Amino acid sequence: MKLAYYPGCSLKGTSFEYEVSLLKILEAMNIEIKEIPDWNCCGASAAHSINHNLSVALPARNLAIAEKDGYESVLAPCAACSNRLKNAAYELKNDDILKKKITDSLEMPYDSEMSINNMLEFLIGTVGKDKIKSMVKKPLSGLKVASYYGCLLVRPPKVMQFDDPENPVTMDELVALTGAEPVDYSFKTECCGAINSLSKPDVVMALTGNVLYDIKKHGADLVVVACPLCHSNLDVRQREIERKYDEKLGLPVLFITELLGLSFGIDPKDLAIDGHMVAADRVLKKIEGLANQR
Amino acid sequence: MKTVINEQNRRNFAAQVESMLHDKLAKCYQCGKCSAGCPVNFEMDYTPNQIIKMTELGMEDKVLNSKTIWLCVSCNTCSTRCPKGFEVTGIMDVLREIAEKKGVTSKVEKEVQMFHEVFLDNVKSNGRIFELELVGKYKLKTRHLFRDMFLAPKMLEKGKLKMHGEKIADLNQIAKIFKDFE
Repeated sequence: MKLAYYPGCSLKGTSFEYEVSLLKILEAMNIEIKEIPDWNCCGASAAHSINHNLSVALPARNLAIAEKDGYESVLAPCAACSNRLKNAAYELKNDDILKKKITDSLEMPYDSEMSINNMLEFLIGTVGKDKIKSMVKKPLSGLKVASYYGCLLVRPPKVMQFDDPENPVTMDELVALTGAEPVDYSFKTECCGAINSLSKPDVVMALTGNVLYDIKKHGADLVVVACPLCHSNLDVRQREIERKYDEKLGLPVLFITELLGLSFGIDPKDLAIDGHMVAADRVLKKIEGLANQR
Repeated sequence: MKTVINEQNRRNFAAQVESMLHDKLAKCYQCGKCSAGCPVNFEMDYTPNQIIKMTELGMEDKVLNSKTIWLCVSCNTCSTRCPKGFEVTGIMDVLREIAEKKGVTSKVEKEVQMFHEVFLDNVKSNGRIFELELVGKYKLKTRHLFRDMFLAPKMLEKGKLKMHGEKIADLNQIAKIFKDFE
């Protein structure tokens, strides 16, 4: 199956670790993806916040290009991108008047049948659990991992059509495949503050702090995410949160692709794990220690 | 609070919101579930269910100048839990868009609004986001030059801040999209 790849802006910038680790595990599994040529920004939260038509038109250009190139499926690893692409696809399918306005503006046809996959859907649905399990060379048993889903992967459910919006489990299932122990906690789908990171940092630190301290309380060694926005708030702002609430966290935040890569036996450097703000050294040592015990 | 509402204005405003939202304001029976689950309710001046009722009552000025519409992070918890399936997150988008089109600048939460504007300008000129330029322009506009600057050295060291942005090849098409819809 031909699979189009929509990286989005974050994976080429602040969340480059996500792309590096994704490409590495796909290479290990012999799965080929191709970047949508000349893709543009999906408009993220800004477009839908102040201009509805733009929030459909910007993603629509990418979908129309992918369709023109013969793809039926798109992988959008960034949760915000996959959310916006799915929203646009949903509107184009259900609103003929809007669809006409947009395809007229793009001067490109679009027949509304593109299937859009977030990272977790792709891993569980397209790659499959058996394949992933067969790749695990260095089981992470003994490691406690909290999966943080945030908002954009699961909500709104009528558009995302993915997992349970209040208690998703897909990422926990992937964690279990690596041999690590999934940690249950309360703030799996509570918002980290996302888009308002730069404009309302105090609010974002309060929300992200709630998530991180709850994860800490439940005894996790690390957090995994599948969203660059979640990663930025949980990782980049973590030191500041520790200072604000005067309580140590020291929780490395990894992308799910990095955790899978570690269990495949890929060198942490090749997965760009040293690109995070919160050092993962302690966790990496624990993994080595666990491997030596066996 | 004394609010005199002209019935014609009330109808016009409610109808405008409903047509953009593709949903009916009367669906909401004020149970407050949206507001109970809202992660940013502690900072808001009106709760989401109040905003819905105020819109139905035609309290345009208060709604468009509220902190609430800009504090909403579009996490969709409200819409997901609404027992009537009302587009609670959607109404926030609609009200922000009306405020933006009418040139209503939020007095208290203007930075959120500015961030969205600077973000879209960046998409308009590059086709993609060039993060360093986005943050720089946002800082100039809000004059919060030093806030978050302490993060920059380590982010640079980690390779998180790219010095050069990528522009897409077909910028004309992006310009056309903006011309048609902005």
